[in-house]
Amino acid sequence: MARTVIPIGPQHPLLKEPLAFQIMLEGERVTDSTMRMGYVHRGIERLCQERTYVQNIHLLERVCGICSHVHAMTYCHAVESLLGIEVPLRAAYLRALLCELERIHSHLLWMGVLARNIGLDTIFMYAWRDREVVLDIMEALSGGRVSHAINIIGGVRSDVTPEDREEILEQLTTLDRQVTRLVGVVEHERSLQTRTKGVGLLSLEQVRRYCVVGPVARASGLDADMRRDEPRTPYDRLSFNVPTHTAGDVWARTLVRMQETRVSVELCRDILKEIPEGPLAVRAPRRVPPGEAISRSEAPRGEVFYYVRSDGSDTPARVKIRTPTLPSLLTLPQQLKGVTMADVSVVLSGVDLCIACADR
Amino acid sequence: MRKAVSTLLESLRTLAYLLPQLGRALVTRPETVKFPFAPPVIPRGYRGRVQIHPEKCRGCGLCVRDCPAFALELQREDRNTFKLIYHPERCAYCGQCEVSCTFGAIYQTNEFVRGTDDLGQLVVTLVDRRPARAGAQDK
Amino acid sequence: MNALIKLLIFPGFGFLFIAALAFDWIDRRMIARYHGRVGPPWYQPLADFVKLLAKEDIVPEGTHGLAAAALPIVSLTAVLTASLYIPVGGIVGASFEGDLIVVLFLLTLPALAYFLAGWISVGAYSVLGGHRSLLQYFSYEVPFLMAVTCPAILAGSWSIAEIINSQAQTAWSALMQPLGFILALIGLIGKLKRDPLDIPKAKSEVVAGPLTDFSGRKLALWHLTMNMQTVLGIFLLVNLFFGGSRLFDRVPALPVFGMKSVAILLALSTASALYARLRIDQLMDLGWRVLAPLALIQILATLWIGG
Repeated sequence: MARTVIPIGPQHPLLKEPLAFQIMLEGERVTDSTMRMGYVHRGIERLCQERTYVQNIHLLERVCGICSHVHAMTYCHAVESLLGIEVPLRAAYLRALLCELERIHSHLLWMGVLARNIGLDTIFMYAWRDREVVLDIMEALSGGRVSHAINIIGGVRSDVTPEDREEILEQLTTLDRQVTRLVGVVEHERSLQTRTKGVGLLSLEQVRRYCVVGPVARASGLDADMRRDEPRTPYDRLSFNVPTHTAGDVWARTLVRMQETRVSVELCRDILKEIPEGPLAVRAPRRVPPGEAISRSEAPRGEVFYYVRSDGSDTPARVKIRTPTLPSLLTLPQQLKGVTMADVSVVLSGVDLCIACADR
Repeated sequence: MRKAVSTLLESLRTLAYLLPQLGRALVTRPETVKFPFAPPVIPRGYRGRVQIHPEKCRGCGLCVRDCPAFALELQREDRNTFKLIYHPERCAYCGQCEVSCTFGAIYQTNEFVRGTDDLGQLVVTLVDRRPARAGAQDK
Repeated sequence: MNALIKLLIFPGFGFLFIAALAFDWIDRRMIARYHGRVGPPWYQPLADFVKLLAKEDIVPEGTHGLAAAALPIVSLTAVLTASLYIPVGGIVGASFEGDLIVVLFLLTLPALAYFLAGWISVGAYSVLGGHRSLLQYFSYEVPFLMAVTCPAILAGSWSIAEIINSQAQTAWSALMQPLGFILALIGLIGKLKRDPLDIPKAKSEVVAGPLTDFSGRKLALWHLTMNMQTVLGIFLLVNLFFGGSRLFDRVPALPVFGMKSVAILLALSTASALYARLRIDQLMDLGWRVLAPLALIQILATLWIGG
């Protein structure tokens, strides 16, 4: 059979963000592939050095559209470590609430994208319809569907009134019902299973070697979750389980993400029920003393890592971000070896790409 | 052959999960909103256009310093003469100016900002303070 | 004069054009309702057609220009010629013994033209899509042809009008040969390249398959051919399996025919909304390991019972 080179990207109906692949095919089997990224590199880490700490919160929110709050929250936590202040309990709970909502949002979005790339448009529409409920909750909480701007150094800036709280709990009940239905369909949908089983295999040893994090790693058996392993308030007071799987293929990742969505809905309910009263923020000084601090959080795609170094002025000397999609991207040429052309879309969707995160 | 037939039977079984949802979708109202042929649904806390109480503004410049999009500009001559200019096309509608202002002058409404082709709306003078006039404001 | 009306207006080009657009609209609207959306307004397929006609027609360098211009016309011609022999509500352009074979042959020409459109193109996506369309053709065509000959065997004739008449005496072929009907339906999904068998033009894998490089008038003609194939395929199935337009003798023929056609179209839309796209090797598996043997069983059963 003929040898062809098929380009996937930078523009392709399958990719949400630009990423260039050259896939070498023999007939319908992929023999090799090369990857090129950097199309959405905006130089955010360099831009951070020219803006003040306060301006950076909003800049860093725009690293990624889906995990925007997590980036801002991790950065604020690093700066608060440098300043030596601790956010009030209520603020910590609110930050965690938005974090979990973003996780649900991200997984529902991913489910829709995977279904669309497989050809099952119906599940795409249903998943994104359920995602609308989450976006409405986030909009009621923070004023924006995707960019929340709720973090300030020292806490959060908008609150949940008791009426809001009741309404959100009601919407969470609806969401729970819809997500359960969706998870039931996904877990039993035969055509989805046949398309995703055995595709995009990653063994536990490969996961460790590439330092993969997040649901991709948990689907291969690595039991690591920042919420449980390095708990911050309120995760140390809430009980939740972290789903893992051992197969390491796209089907395992689907199951892990769907179960995580259900766990997150439960967590949101628990957070809203147990949220304590109190102030929303503490006063933070504008000048940050020299030093360096790191902070890690569990973004929807895995562990996001921030390093902030200050030299005593009001702009940071260095902000370094390690996003969770980056190691997953690096495993892609490995995952693509030996799959058929039709599975390329499944593999690329299974990794839950967020190129904007990876390129920064 | 047996495996293929069992696959066929299993795919019929999954109909039991998806088919009821299809039926439910047929009898419920569509989820889509008819914007822009119908007005948008705006929640209470929506972060929209930036406005100001011009009499409260002291021209301190905290909002200007904290704006991540460099959308605010302060032209200052002396303590009582200054102009605060707002560039809506650079604004990211984050509301940091409202948080930073210690006098409660600048605030964020929930006015939904639509695109316009009127270039005159690109530069908005929020506060034009001069000693002769007592804080005239024009938009 | 009569022949000219039959050719150009009903049941010829004019009627087929309107029917193609109408069926496309019903299909998109139905799928949208399944998704929880509203769906396009009634004039959307017409608007798409007119828009494509007005667009610039680009043929990339390296593509065979004459072939790229001729292929959509050839496939449209084949489809329109096939429409002469398919009765619509009892009215047919021409009918003779063996016209079923002619119709089936003519309806396979668009598939060949589709593959050639990929073959002559330059882009990798087009070639790959053409490749897949030929593989798909081999998987669904055999079960489809076998399933479609079952009513003919039952009626003892190769003329579609005869088959309709013989169903009026006995019963609908779909009731007597349900397996054959299901196989013909699945074959039709493959022929029309609809979800879940839209492998050659899978948007997430090969962008648009063989038609990736076509634009403007040529693409308008391709889309029109696809839509007309849908209409003709459904009409063929209604004639062969549901007795054409016979319901009760007093009910007017054309509305009955229309209702049956729309019912089959709704079944196709539901199948589109339900299943994920198959991989090409899974389709070949399905076609040769499941569908073809079942079609063979159906033919043998028909011969045994009917003969």
